[in-house]
Amino acid sequence: MSGPRTQAEPVTLTVDGSEVIVPKGTLIIRAAENLGIEIPRFCDHPFLDPIGACRQCYVEIEGQRKLFTSCTTEVAPGMVVRTQNTSDEAHRAQVANLEFLLLNHPLDCPICDRGGECPLQDQAMSFGPGESRYAEPKRTYEKPIALSPLVKLDRERCVLCARCTRFCDEISGDRFIELFARGAGERVSIAAGEDFRSPFSGNTVQICPVGALTAEPYRFVARPFDLTTADSVCQHCSAGCNIRVDLRRGSVVRVLARDNADVNDAWTCDKGRFAFRHADLPGRVTTPLIRDRGLEPASFGEVFADIAEWSREGRAAFLSGGRLPDEDAYALAKLARVAFGTNDLDHRRTFHGGRAEQLAAASPLDTTYRDLERAKVILVAGLDAEQEVPILNLRIRKAARRGAAVFVIHPRRTRLWDVAEHTLCLPEHQTYVLERIHDGEAPGDAFEGRVSGALREAAGEAVVLVGERLTEHPLAADVALRVAQRYGAHMALVPRRSGDRGALRAGVHPSLLPGGRRVSDQAERAEIEGSWGSLPAEPGRSTRQILEACANREIDVLFLIGIDPLRDIPDADLARRALSNTRHVVVQSLELGSLEPFADAFLPAAAWIEREGHATDWEGRAQPIHAVRGPTGVSRADWEIFEGLAEAMGRPLGFGDLEALRAEAAPLLEPRPVTSRSTAWTGTGRPQRLGELTLLAYPLLVDEGRLSEGADELKAALGQDPFVELHPEDADKRGLVDGGRATVTTDAGEAVLDVRVTEHIAQGAAFVPFNQPGLAANELLSGSFTTAVRIEPAVAEPAVAEGAA
Amino acid sequence: MNETPTTRIVTANWDDPNVVGIDGYLAAGGYEGLRAALAMTPDEVIDLVKTSGLRGRGGAGFPTGVKWSFVPQDTGKPTYVVANFDESEPGTFNNREIIEREPHRFLEGMAIAAYAVRSHLAFVYCRGEFLWPGEILDAAIREAYAKEVFGPSVLGSGFALEVVLHRGAGAYICGEETALLSSLEGYRGQPRLRPPFPAVEGLYASPTLINNVETLATVPSILTRGPEWFAKIGTEKSPGTKIFSVSGKVERPGNYELPLGTPLRTLLEDHAGGVLGGRRLKAWTPGGSSTPMLTEQHLDIGLDFESITAAGSLLGTGAIIVMDETDCIVEAARRLVQFYAHESCGKCTPCREGTWWVSRVLGRIEQGYGRSEDLPLLDELGENILYKAFCALADGAVSPIESSLRYFRDEYEAHIAERRCPFTGVGPGGETATGSGDAIANDAGLTGALT
Repeated sequence: MSGPRTQAEPVTLTVDGSEVIVPKGTLIIRAAENLGIEIPRFCDHPFLDPIGACRQCYVEIEGQRKLFTSCTTEVAPGMVVRTQNTSDEAHRAQVANLEFLLLNHPLDCPICDRGGECPLQDQAMSFGPGESRYAEPKRTYEKPIALSPLVKLDRERCVLCARCTRFCDEISGDRFIELFARGAGERVSIAAGEDFRSPFSGNTVQICPVGALTAEPYRFVARPFDLTTADSVCQHCSAGCNIRVDLRRGSVVRVLARDNADVNDAWTCDKGRFAFRHADLPGRVTTPLIRDRGLEPASFGEVFADIAEWSREGRAAFLSGGRLPDEDAYALAKLARVAFGTNDLDHRRTFHGGRAEQLAAASPLDTTYRDLERAKVILVAGLDAEQEVPILNLRIRKAARRGAAVFVIHPRRTRLWDVAEHTLCLPEHQTYVLERIHDGEAPGDAFEGRVSGALREAAGEAVVLVGERLTEHPLAADVALRVAQRYGAHMALVPRRSGDRGALRAGVHPSLLPGGRRVSDQAERAEIEGSWGSLPAEPGRSTRQILEACANREIDVLFLIGIDPLRDIPDADLARRALSNTRHVVVQSLELGSLEPFADAFLPAAAWIEREGHATDWEGRAQPIHAVRGPTGVSRADWEIFEGLAEAMGRPLGFGDLEALRAEAAPLLEPRPVTSRSTAWTGTGRPQRLGELTLLAYPLLVDEGRLSEGADELKAALGQDPFVELHPEDADKRGLVDGGRATVTTDAGEAVLDVRVTEHIAQGAAFVPFNQPGLAANELLSGSFTTAVRIEPAVAEPAVAEGAA
Repeated sequence: MNETPTTRIVTANWDDPNVVGIDGYLAAGGYEGLRAALAMTPDEVIDLVKTSGLRGRGGAGFPTGVKWSFVPQDTGKPTYVVANFDESEPGTFNNREIIEREPHRFLEGMAIAAYAVRSHLAFVYCRGEFLWPGEILDAAIREAYAKEVFGPSVLGSGFALEVVLHRGAGAYICGEETALLSSLEGYRGQPRLRPPFPAVEGLYASPTLINNVETLATVPSILTRGPEWFAKIGTEKSPGTKIFSVSGKVERPGNYELPLGTPLRTLLEDHAGGVLGGRRLKAWTPGGSSTPMLTEQHLDIGLDFESITAAGSLLGTGAIIVMDETDCIVEAARRLVQFYAHESCGKCTPCREGTWWVSRVLGRIEQGYGRSEDLPLLDELGENILYKAFCALADGAVSPIESSLRYFRDEYEAHIAERRCPFTGVGPGGETATGSGDAIANDAGLTGALT
């Protein structure tokens, strides 16, 4: 078997008289594209397997009797290809085929969402027959049918190219839709009673070459020529999907994926695509506020002056969410140290630590999507990729389709179930599994033994992905790093949020400065001091320590930058105490939300779509984001606010503009070697269980997160009510049944939830989604996303007697 | 029948009702070919079939031994044999009678093929509508297991062979070999891209040999009587016999096994009893509905692959559909195209849309609503479909259009000029008024709100 990295030999051929050299195995249609020659097509898609269904792309090949579909025919040395540009026969075949496609097409372009950007319309206008010779009645269908609350299907427009069904087969694996019936009655359909419940369903809408599949949030909303657009990067997670944002009259109406084979191929998830209203919601606050009797509008200058006064004598601390663009994160890292003289700042919700984290901060692009795609073995630890970084999940599936062996260590079965081998283990046992893989002494018939063997055999062509299920355990990531190093594999920490990796690199961290330089290491600190001036030498407090300090009245001014501790921190009680006991709370965000009672000052930040900057994805790849409109109201980009604050403090940051900021940051963020050693241990033996049952919580893709507000169709399609999930044996022991109700009790709180019983969770574990409507799971947690739990049947609510209602 | 007994190979025992069961078949010398094969090496069996010159009887006429030799033996994957018993081509019914009368001859041939390509698992893909033949085959396979013809040691040789009967769900396209494989795997019966060819990546992406039932049923005699004997029958390039299925306007429709190269005149007059009622032959298909029609002028052309191709048609499955002077050629073409429109799998545009369009235009002409521009339109649609579709199904649909227009254009013109069918009188220009084009389309089951 040839290795995936082997370079295909070059093949020289001629297309329309021009010579082109492409790798062996290239399809003619791609080779022509290299020359800038576009051969008409419908079914062909560069990221889907060739199918040859629409027959639109016929070309003539010298010496061949018949025409060939260029989307299914591979190049050959010396081949002479003539496209519609130079071959009458090819041109005639394409015109004829287009006539066939238009027979039953309704030509309702004026009311079709695709009108104006429709491949069928474009081709019909450019070379189609002006009038149809088809005199018979057209085929019609009941229309539209809802495949889900998000996706509608108008079958009479469909050209049956099978792009949508192939996407579901080949890319997402969510095979909800299929071609039904045959001949002229063939159509896309879905099983009766089923919903197109795939978090990638929107991709089928985007790749539909006609208006057959439309997305509910954009149906009848705009014409393409009404839109203003900007290229950007999705901010929903760390996948780094390249997107295009479409605005109509100043509001976002649509998000599309842009092609980038290094990152998201051509895809994005439904959350990235359909959760786009958060910057336009009524709750948005776009003027600075200061607490007088209530929160009153003020100027930035007034608010800055008050904050400066509170801070001059007091102790300040900074918490940020994981969604700042890179430049803003850098400005924050500098602001805290230079203007407020503190290392008490953090962007993390959970504890990472160790050398793996320093490496992630210091060395971007150590592990990339491409590495993943080419890997022979992929080990996924503590990561539910579909729910957390969906496009990463698609890339793992792509690798699996190319023959990679995929192994998953996770408490719940993930959406890789059909392509990977899972070991379902308790959250607190994941590190132990990694240790056994590291030691390589587990028997070959055990999961750990198989993984060790596969990693050994992959000889470096392997990737270890580490998610937040693992990194919240102290130094667990370092154990994963040791596994990777032992087998010569790539490794990446995969954070969930779009700004996490950028914030880590920039030094929004109590003990790391830009580039992963340690505060505590004098030499490393000096490298930053050269640019920033003298810095505090003691490492600061982490998120949890900051909140504890707040609760203990040890902090005077708490800056909350794009974070709501009441919702985001896995300890609701601590968050409440911290906010209540802090003298001055400064909120910098798009809205106040649940922080309104606690805020003493509000600084309105510009939304992601209103600013320039960069976003660093999980790979460490910084990609530009662009303003599709100016800031709303008097809101400002976060870095500008930081600069104003610093000036008010009398210690300006000295940027002036983004270019200057980038110029200052660039040398500090250069990739650099990490010299420290891991302090992680291995061989500690099987760890203790937290309790008889371990509760774990993490956010699902579609939840009550701030950025998903207003995405009603998305929630209708993919949302879920809160539930508790546990293994049949654990359910039996407690008399719990699937579909019943249970009381879930932890040290922190209690909730009554629907019960789901499934074998797809480790025995001894219970899962509660972190943030579904009606339950904030942080009420059950006390600092960690895992905790000991008791679950028992809920006391039955008294049955309503028949007829009583 | 008055041909010499030597020319009856596959049908030799058809007069004996006992050969349906395995005892009768063994008594008649059955499974001796398999025994002979098992005594040879697999490569020797392949060479022997190559020497015989046997060509596939499913329509394409590809040399069988060569096909067997294409199955790679070093892939590390299992090798499969699939017998194509999806006999669905209109006019073709010899596979069915082979199974109904002597199923073991086919099973024996399949076992020989499996041994030759070193396959231990063979599938029979049985057309969905063949309920009764499917029952017979099922019983025959059970008998063969009971007699240890199939199983861990075929006839005590140590060669293992399992045989699985799979019934289709009633789709013509599943006779196309790659669609058949998709269907057998449990997917929609739609053809797949080639390459990779089934010999290399067929069923479950493993090397797969696919043969027609008649082809396989011919093999045992080649083993018992030798390839030289077989090669002497028929013509040089089309050796052996063929079972011709004769249907339509003849006195004695049925299956007739004759040496390849026998002209239709002999088949029709000496065997099938001539055209029904002594009427005049108008048109006939040499190889089923997907082969271009021929006429009276082709009566003396030999029924073999080369001669029929030279005459502008194809031998196909050797299914002779006879039309006489009372048959309306427009209606005949309409019905045939209608069949293809109905059976089109829908995967590719020219077939799905083109056959639908043509069937409606033909329906309109037949009903007396033809227009003068319809004939050049039909010519052009035929060209636009031919060789443009994903698989050969659509090419088959073009045959009746193109050949009927070639030989009987005047009849089309008469329909249009008289605004009625000259044979039935139906149409606005005739005595019986009919409904609109919609009614025709509805009749074809192809319009209205499909759900």
